[in-house]
Amino acid sequence: MRSALRDLPSRLRLHRLLPVLSIAVAAGAVAAAVASPQVSLQDWGILLVFAVVIAVGEVNRIVLPGGRETAPMSLAAGYALAMTWEVGETHRVEFTAGVVVAVTTVGMLAGAVPALLRRSPVRADDLAARFLSVAVVAILFRHVVVWDGQPLLTLQESWSSTRWVTAISMVLVSGIALFVQAFCVALATASRDHRPFWRSLVDEVRQGAGLGAALAASGTLIALAERPMGVVALPVFLIPLVLTQFAIRRYAGIRETYGQTIRALSRLTEIGGYTRRDHPARVAALSVAMGRDLGMSDRDTLDLEYAALLHDIGQVALREPIPGGATMMAAPADQDRIARDGAGIVRQTGVLDNVAVILESQSKPYRQVRELGEDLPLASRIIKVANAYDDLVGEARARRARKHASAIERIHLGLGYEYDPRVVEALIRVLDRRAAVVGAG
Amino acid sequence: MSKAGAAREPSSSRAVPLYIAATTLAAVVSMWWAWDAANPFADPVALITLLVLGVLSMLVRERDVGANITFSFLSIIVIASVVLVGPVGSALVGALSMGLERGTRTLHARLFNASMFALQGVVGGMVYLAVGGSLKLEEVVGAPALIMHVGIPLMVADVAQMLVNAVLLAGVVRLSTGIPPRRFIVQMVTNSGVAYIGYGVIGFLFVILWGPADVGWFSAVLILAPLYVARWAFVQYGEEQRAHERTLSALVTAVETKDPSAAGHSGRIARLAEWMAEPLSMGTQEVQALVYAAMLHDVGKVGVPTRLLRRPRTWTPADVEALTHHSALGVVLVREIEFLNGSLAGIRHHHERWDGLGYPDGLAGDEIPLVSRVIAVADAFDALTTDRAERPAFAPQQALRQIEQRRGRQFDPHVVAALATVLERHDWPITSADEDELDRMRGYLDHDDPIAWEQVWATTPPLRPAVTGPGPTPHPVADEPSPPHPAAGKAEDVPVAEQVRAP
Repeated sequence: MRSALRDLPSRLRLHRLLPVLSIAVAAGAVAAAVASPQVSLQDWGILLVFAVVIAVGEVNRIVLPGGRETAPMSLAAGYALAMTWEVGETHRVEFTAGVVVAVTTVGMLAGAVPALLRRSPVRADDLAARFLSVAVVAILFRHVVVWDGQPLLTLQESWSSTRWVTAISMVLVSGIALFVQAFCVALATASRDHRPFWRSLVDEVRQGAGLGAALAASGTLIALAERPMGVVALPVFLIPLVLTQFAIRRYAGIRETYGQTIRALSRLTEIGGYTRRDHPARVAALSVAMGRDLGMSDRDTLDLEYAALLHDIGQVALREPIPGGATMMAAPADQDRIARDGAGIVRQTGVLDNVAVILESQSKPYRQVRELGEDLPLASRIIKVANAYDDLVGEARARRARKHASAIERIHLGLGYEYDPRVVEALIRVLDRRAAVVGAG
Repeated sequence: MSKAGAAREPSSSRAVPLYIAATTLAAVVSMWWAWDAANPFADPVALITLLVLGVLSMLVRERDVGANITFSFLSIIVIASVVLVGPVGSALVGALSMGLERGTRTLHARLFNASMFALQGVVGGMVYLAVGGSLKLEEVVGAPALIMHVGIPLMVADVAQMLVNAVLLAGVVRLSTGIPPRRFIVQMVTNSGVAYIGYGVIGFLFVILWGPADVGWFSAVLILAPLYVARWAFVQYGEEQRAHERTLSALVTAVETKDPSAAGHSGRIARLAEWMAEPLSMGTQEVQALVYAAMLHDVGKVGVPTRLLRRPRTWTPADVEALTHHSALGVVLVREIEFLNGSLAGIRHHHERWDGLGYPDGLAGDEIPLVSRVIAVADAFDALTTDRAERPAFAPQQALRQIEQRRGRQFDPHVVAALATVLERHDWPITSADEDELDRMRGYLDHDDPIAWEQVWATTPPLRPAVTGPGPTPHPVADEPSPPHPAAGKAEDVPVAEQVRAP
């Protein structure tokens, strides 16, 4: 029952549903915009500037450390547009949330065009989440009645002497919208990666908090600065956010490089002839899928991935390769020594201590948890199972099904003694899903 | 403000305290003189907010943001204060924040920094007013007027503040360390000029939001939040960068674990190669590629069977050939690390010879990438100056002579000249080994040692065509586990690794 509930986002295919929902909202907004009172020529000019900046922001998307994609400039411009009310000291805009959402649609779609032309994939669910969060700001700020029968748009006119109250209310509205965005993205990742939803949400909020604060502040800044500065405020007040975006991009870049270096390290054993081709990469992919399934956080999943990539690195110090590189077949004492040597090499970096801890325990049998009450890291237990499976199946494409069955059988024989039953269950779930994908494709 | 933006502990010569006293006096006098321009207490809320912000910014400050990026919230606050609370107000904000800075500073340094920031505030404020800046923001309406009467004057004031900072610091540095002031000022302006322009722009945004947009004190939160996040990301970047460097060196260590006689070799030649880049006037990017290539030039040795590296034995042509594959294997190993793309050719060709008799591709003369030619010389030099089981280390000058004998045959003459220049400028300690270490090296062939390698070459005549043929396959690991080196004479059967060959 629990697992049925857990898999609900995946069963409903929510990551496919999100874009559909967005299209519905966009269509509704366009209809509302057409039906709404006439927009003046001056307002059209303002809307055009916003649409262009949103499109430019979409083109300059960034990938956050951890792999999520976002477009800070586009979002900040969208939020600012949704909260715009005075542009210049004397001009008050007269458009509805429908118009805001319609313009955002145009900007975001235009921004996706270059990627489509290059045939690089556009992440529809991330785009949909961004779009929906702008719609949330527009509706909350312009139409939802908060006090005295008025929405914030008209209410804040009476706060002109204490405009910081307006600023705070804008930050709050942006915060709610950002949470909606995180919620949508979490639904999509839970559905796509088969993760527990709450874990995805926690990771989403944690990862997005910093940038989210910068976004909420920037949207508010622009909306407030439009009164003295006019529409010039939009590009000018995006400057702090551009700097933020630049910094985050560099951070994400070095994280990516770091990952590449770890992958290169993982191939040391392969090139040395100690392990079969792509063995570390396969074990890592399987381990990550199992870790996600078991609800590990992003941070822990990264450590797990690195540890899985490097799990055989201790073999580099061996005099002669183990036949086939299969540590599973090696004597327990050798397995322990490889694990220790590997942890030693990794510990020398001085920065991968978490990974070293995982490596140290990777060869320990699960019974040590039950009989001796030892605390084996979950990541170590996952790597032990994934490694055993990969060693048993090998890479022979022929006889795969039979090899798979016998591998699972052998792992089952070690259940509770060698392997953690909960982890083995996760392995079976992950493999079933893979089989389903292969079968369907 | 750069790293040099605040004085380090000045030395205790007598001139320095006098200089500090003079600066303090100048600060006090100028504040008294500028008092009439604007009363700093006219808007007490603004003054208190800015003071609190300034002090807070010094409390959260970390010395090293990393990655050569410097970030000073205080500079932004001081420049915005010029407009919001006037010249003297700005001076007070700067002086108090610097005076209360966290950390163990001598009273002298504290006093000097406080006075310097006070002077920056006053000078910035007076310059702002002199070039038509307005302190009455409610009278400035519309974007063009705001830019003319606030934005541009503020940028001028910003430059003035930077100059005051640079000149005063140059003075104190001159007195305590003797660095010529002119060089110091030029260096500081080039290092932190861009940052100062950034402070000016953001200070301007801050002022607009505070005054014309009526947001008041809360504008500090709105402006500083994105910047704080940016700073956080820069700090993370710096940490990851350091972590990455260390992991990369672990890759090297892992290989050196396999071959005890090579311990420290990669690090040493990376340093030597970097020195040699200077007389060869290589560009920054090329030096980067050179250092990484030097660090990683032998990673491919991990693909050479351990028995060849360790066990005392006699050599067969097949063994030697297997050993020569390490330069191409190294490329296979690291080619997926994007930032090393510039170093791949350097790694692949580091055993080519000037006369075209090297491996893996038999390139000659200028066909060999410069990076490889430098590594070849550095590699041989380090091998010669290291103790071996069969001979003691050569002294640096003897080793140089050995290399000069092979100039024009094995080595590029220009690069050899660069090595000679470097040895005049730097000390090069020989790498000695104790009895145990020598014992472990016994029977080991140092493929980098030109003398030893020539002996191998002479005794294995059929080797040359096999070795100088096309490189090994880029995927040496077969589906079934097998030693990754093709047998001698089979090298021709293997497809040429074109993609590896391209620089």
